Amino acid sequence: MRMSQSVWVVFVKELKDALRDRRTLMAVFISSVLMGPLMLVLLSSLVGRYEKRAEAREVVVIGLDNAPALRNYIERQTFVVKKAPADWETQLKASKLGDPVVIVPADFEDDLAHGRPPRIELVYSSANARAQSGVGAIAQLLQGFDQEQASLRLIARGVAPSALNVTRIDEHDIADNAARAAQMTHIVPLFVLMSVLYGALNAALDTTAGERERGSLEPLLATPASRGALVIGKWGAVFALGLLIAVLSCLSFLPAQSLLRSESLAALFRFGWVEAAWFIGLLAPLAALVAALMMAVAIRCKTVKEAQANMVALTMVFTLTPLVGLFTQEGEAAWNLWVPSVAQTTLMDRVLKNAPIGLLDVAPSLLLCIVLTAAALMFVTRQLAKRAAQ
Amino acid sequence: MIAMDDLRKQFTTGRGRQARTVVAVDGMTLHAQDGAITGLLGPNGAGKTTSLRMLVGLVTPDSGTIRVDGVDLRDDPQGVRARLGVLSDARGLYPRLTARENIVYHGRLHGVADDVAQSRCEHLARLLEMEALLDRRTDGFSQGERMKTALARALVHDPDNIVLDEPTNGLDVVATRALREALRVLRDETGKCIVFSTHIMQEVERLCDRVVVVAHGRHVADGTVASLCAQAGSDDFEDAFVRLAFGPQGQPR
Repeated sequence: MRMSQSVWVVFVKELKDALRDRRTLMAVFISSVLMGPLMLVLLSSLVGRYEKRAEAREVVVIGLDNAPALRNYIERQTFVVKKAPADWETQLKASKLGDPVVIVPADFEDDLAHGRPPRIELVYSSANARAQSGVGAIAQLLQGFDQEQASLRLIARGVAPSALNVTRIDEHDIADNAARAAQMTHIVPLFVLMSVLYGALNAALDTTAGERERGSLEPLLATPASRGALVIGKWGAVFALGLLIAVLSCLSFLPAQSLLRSESLAALFRFGWVEAAWFIGLLAPLAALVAALMMAVAIRCKTVKEAQANMVALTMVFTLTPLVGLFTQEGEAAWNLWVPSVAQTTLMDRVLKNAPIGLLDVAPSLLLCIVLTAAALMFVTRQLAKRAAQ
Repeated sequence: MIAMDDLRKQFTTGRGRQARTVVAVDGMTLHAQDGAITGLLGPNGAGKTTSLRMLVGLVTPDSGTIRVDGVDLRDDPQGVRARLGVLSDARGLYPRLTARENIVYHGRLHGVADDVAQSRCEHLARLLEMEALLDRRTDGFSQGERMKTALARALVHDPDNIVLDEPTNGLDVVATRALREALRVLRDETGKCIVFSTHIMQEVERLCDRVVVVAHGRHVADGTVASLCAQAGSDDFEDAFVRLAFGPQGQPR
């Protein structure tokens, strides 16, 4: 029998076997395919809430009746004044109040009239993320009042207000829309990468440690099919399942976009068919490597349970290494493109940022994935007979 | 025809000072003819399973030769495996596949075309009285049902040489009788060479044309049941086996 025929027979059987494991497939489907879009929707809802607050232009104040000038200024800036609840401090600490609180002293107007700087308190809790996000806008509002008062005093003394401005600051944000959105959507490549791992995991365990545990490996090796053909057929099925879940995971982001609640995020996050195709293309070599490495780890184990324990370390390496860049905040380093899983997340990030990707960017990880996959498969082939007889 | 000559195999367990060498097979010789059932009889740990694993090429012998229908295992391991139908002590099935799918899968790996494998599967199902099982998933099969499926899987490519390692383990009386009958049919109607490894005397007496007695990895005697009884000087085959395997006092030889 030709080797290619044996490979095909094993591939079809393993795929059929894995696809009949409905419960496991459903669990993988839910965790890998639905989790990503769900996270995206939650993220967008969070961003949406912040945006809504910024648009609401509200300021929570205590004692504004003591400061008609300040009230006048605030209202001219089209801010809506809200009175702080009685237990505002407790609510702020418990994150129930989502706005910082401005406290205006009783002698505000008198101090202002006599040239004494009145002391306005801006109270927030840095443990209350919602309230803290509004601090900048309120501080800017109060500074605006401060500046207006100062300017009026200078004009009254015949001094041009521009005398206070020694320099002028012009802010330029050079990030384009896609790059800005990528800040928010860093998590997307990581989820898609995890779906490859979870998609391949069960099939990798079942075709190696599972065969040993149920005693079906020895009869399989008693057939004339070459060991290499058995391993390649099995690997092909594991790879196909990992890639299938990755494809479903990528495609699930397409409809998920319509659920984005943040309008600006929805406008910025562009994930169309082209981006999905890029993702799948980048993930394919990684899925090949993950399948081979999982099989190499699992073939040494006598039971699926033992293999699962060993697999924890492998999945952690693949999911945690891309986080290194996220934590260090140093941007892209040259080594990023050489390390499988880091390279894929880096390049997928670029796809989301709409940044260019050249052949030389893809080549290092592609080469490494091919070499490591081949090495892992040779290892599994060598181990197959040895482990069957143990 | 299966010929195993002077096979030797030892395993080393542990490392460094903990290393211990275990002699599993120490000069095993077995010649099994076509159209006959040859029993490989020995107590637990006598080296039967290791010898059969060497025959399939799962374990490499330290020395000795193995030939199946004149083909040397060292020269053509795949050719040897193609000529063998093996029911090893590991007879695991794929629980999510039906009995038919389990059997046909192995047939396909033996190079049998799909339609031929399907018709062989039907034929074996009739022989082993397991037609009702064919399209059921093997998850939840009884011991007997599992054994029948595993046996059909070993025979699907219609091999000339059949090797069965303790096939009646875990079977009830009815299933054991059915298996014995199936083996007689295979021997008498198709002239297969059958090697039957066991440690159960009654099976050997009722089924085997020739018996090879092994103990402590060595071949200690061979012949028909009657000739072995004569050799040991006993009318009872069990007594004869104990004397041959363990010596007159029942001690290992």
